[in-house]
Amino acid sequence: MTRRRLALVGAVVLVAACVERLTAPGHCPDYCPSGQITVVDTLLTTSINRDSSYRGYVLAYQAALMLAAHLPGATDTLDSRPIFRFNGFGGRFVLSAADTGDIVGADSARLQLVITRRDTATHNLRLQLYRLPITIDTATTFGSAPFTDSLRTVYIDTLLALPGRKDPITGDSVVVDTVNHRLVLSLKLGPAAARYDTTDSGTVAYGIRIAADTLASIALGKGVVGPVLQWYLQVDSALTSVARTPGVRGAAFASFVFAPPLAPLDSTLAVGGVPSARSLLRVAVPKVIRDSSQIIRATLFLVPAVPARGAPADSFVIEARTVLADFGAKSPIDPRLGDTTVIHPESKDTVRIEVTNLLQLWAADSTHPTVLVLRAQAEAQFLGEVRFYPSLAAKRPALQVTFVRRFPFGVP
Amino acid sequence: MRRADGWTGGRAVGTAVLAAMFLAASPPDRLTAQDSQFGIRGLGTPGRWESVRSRSTGGAFGPFDPLSPLMEAPLADLGQLTATAAGGTSHRDVLVGGTTTALRTTRFPLMGVAGPVAPRLAVAAGFTTYLDKSWDVTLRDSFLLRGVLQRYTDEITSDGSVADVRLAAASRLSRRIAIGVGVHVLAGSTRMTAERRFDDSTFNAVQQSAEVRYDGVGVSGSVLIGLAPGLTIAGWARSDNRLRAKVADTTSAVTDLPRMAGGGVLFAPSPSARFAASVAWRSWSRAGPGAFDTWSWSAGAEFGSRRMPIRLGARGGQMPFGPGTEAPTEVAGSLGTGRAFAQGRALIDLGLERLERRGGGGGLTERVWTVLVGITVRP
Repeated sequence: MTRRRLALVGAVVLVAACVERLTAPGHCPDYCPSGQITVVDTLLTTSINRDSSYRGYVLAYQAALMLAAHLPGATDTLDSRPIFRFNGFGGRFVLSAADTGDIVGADSARLQLVITRRDTATHNLRLQLYRLPITIDTATTFGSAPFTDSLRTVYIDTLLALPGRKDPITGDSVVVDTVNHRLVLSLKLGPAAARYDTTDSGTVAYGIRIAADTLASIALGKGVVGPVLQWYLQVDSALTSVARTPGVRGAAFASFVFAPPLAPLDSTLAVGGVPSARSLLRVAVPKVIRDSSQIIRATLFLVPAVPARGAPADSFVIEARTVLADFGAKSPIDPRLGDTTVIHPESKDTVRIEVTNLLQLWAADSTHPTVLVLRAQAEAQFLGEVRFYPSLAAKRPALQVTFVRRFPFGVP
Repeated sequence: MRRADGWTGGRAVGTAVLAAMFLAASPPDRLTAQDSQFGIRGLGTPGRWESVRSRSTGGAFGPFDPLSPLMEAPLADLGQLTATAAGGTSHRDVLVGGTTTALRTTRFPLMGVAGPVAPRLAVAAGFTTYLDKSWDVTLRDSFLLRGVLQRYTDEITSDGSVADVRLAAASRLSRRIAIGVGVHVLAGSTRMTAERRFDDSTFNAVQQSAEVRYDGVGVSGSVLIGLAPGLTIAGWARSDNRLRAKVADTTSAVTDLPRMAGGGVLFAPSPSARFAASVAWRSWSRAGPGAFDTWSWSAGAEFGSRRMPIRLGARGGQMPFGPGTEAPTEVAGSLGTGRAFAQGRALIDLGLERLERRGGGGGLTERVWTVLVGITVRP
């Protein structure tokens, strides 16, 4: 037993003895390695060339949101209006397994809208609902959508202030989704507004305008959070009109139209807007940085040529990404890495984007195209657009790179 | 008898060749001896080419110890195949700038096999530390970057060593004279890393690493002369060419290595008392700026039977690398003992060394306790 204990103690002592502790504070230069980590910071003002802008990546009807805005400006007013269409049930309605009846009309309907984004500082926000021709489609423009048949107006702030957020007179209500920061608006449409026209198979289209005491800008949901219409129908059953409540209808088409349209692309680098614009910047990274150094920070500097357009409250995010191959406007974007910054409308401040990881990717993979793509992170979900000076201008894009030269390993 | 000698010699040759092949193919990185902050700025910290027995006597018995790879000539008196290895744990206090840092390392600085291959010829193969290059330095500082004072922490590390793989042969020419020669292959590597972490996280951390491989060659020769019964003197010389450092097959540095010479005297007035002293000179200044030629001395004694002796010694000298215009100095005292087992076929040597290094203009003082364990087997 004693020998075993001694052996155990010996083993423990041996293990403890093998612990390494070599780290000591450096007292330089006397007791430090002769080689030091050398950091270089350089501003590349001429490395970005052959830049260009393209528009049309995401159109209004392809956007994930419907934008509504009324933004009076010095020279014009930015007016954006959601438009959407519900398909009807046709002329007849299934009453039972063996019986159908003609749809006589609709008593009423309930339209549900989800406001996914709004400026809480905006006062007296109101929505005006219009009936539109059912012919609206992707080709519909601001000028071709007749906002003449006004159905009713909803005062959002008033509705929010009511007890239970319900209006007992109009039947409207609103639910505040504090988790997703949304307002779920439920509008009751009377017989006139909910007119069911069997000649059009019940199909109905609506448009929305908004207004407020100050600048008004909101976004309405599409898809799973898009407009929903609940009909309350009257159906003829053996010459007797009976009430039926069919299933809710989601919008078959949802888009938005706005005016004035964006200015055509020019020599500046446009990013954002609707239809969305992207800009490509081709970067010539010096070999000394790309091949034999470690990039620890890279910042892209962009100077807006004009103040960013958009609602003041609708700051939007633009992102810089790189591409998998340089095919110009159709360059496939590398989804792995991206860097972002926030654009504040009406600001002309220089925009900085930290693109360290993108340059590190280029340094690690010499076959990767050294092209930066600037685009809105949520394309066509903001009316905002920013235009930067191009590489041919004096205030051209610049890249500030901080890198570390290769450590002189092996040098005594 | 001839058959027995031949069998023993054949086994020694085979073992030696195998050991040499193994060692030359893959010099162990952990083959380091005793680190020092003085070696960080230079080539490293030179190893001690001594067995535990020799080191327990301050290194004074090194020129006369066949198991210490300092000289080859003593191998001629090795009567049978012998293998030895040594390990040591150092506790080092580094005092500089008013602060003390406690460091600890465990090293295996010596391994070798030797034995006679013919009546007048013995060979040996083994490795020892030529330069220890294991250290880890942290530094806190700041500098102006993008118009802002950026604070950062650097950590630069080196882990590895340069090994001296030796193939030696010795012959006793007469009752009084023995000579030996050796060929040395210097090989090794260090894993080096350089890291910088900024307090401002917008700057990515710097992380670079490389494996630095080293190579070089050297030759040595030595002689033992018996002046009188119980009185022997020794002399040795060695020349190494250069140390080439390569990073990813690209030569990053070529440094001239020193020439060395030394000698010693052993006086054994009785079987139970032995005294020795030695001195060595090394032209480390060839390595470039910040390197100095060094002198070192040692004196020691061994008392008692060889079965369980008591050893003590002292040594002093200079360190080859350091800041300033003068070489740092070191002084050490040591003691130890040994114990033979299995009718002398196995020996365990234990040693304890207290070392102090100081000087060099930078105000650095190192105080080191080292516990040494050596194992010798004679199959």
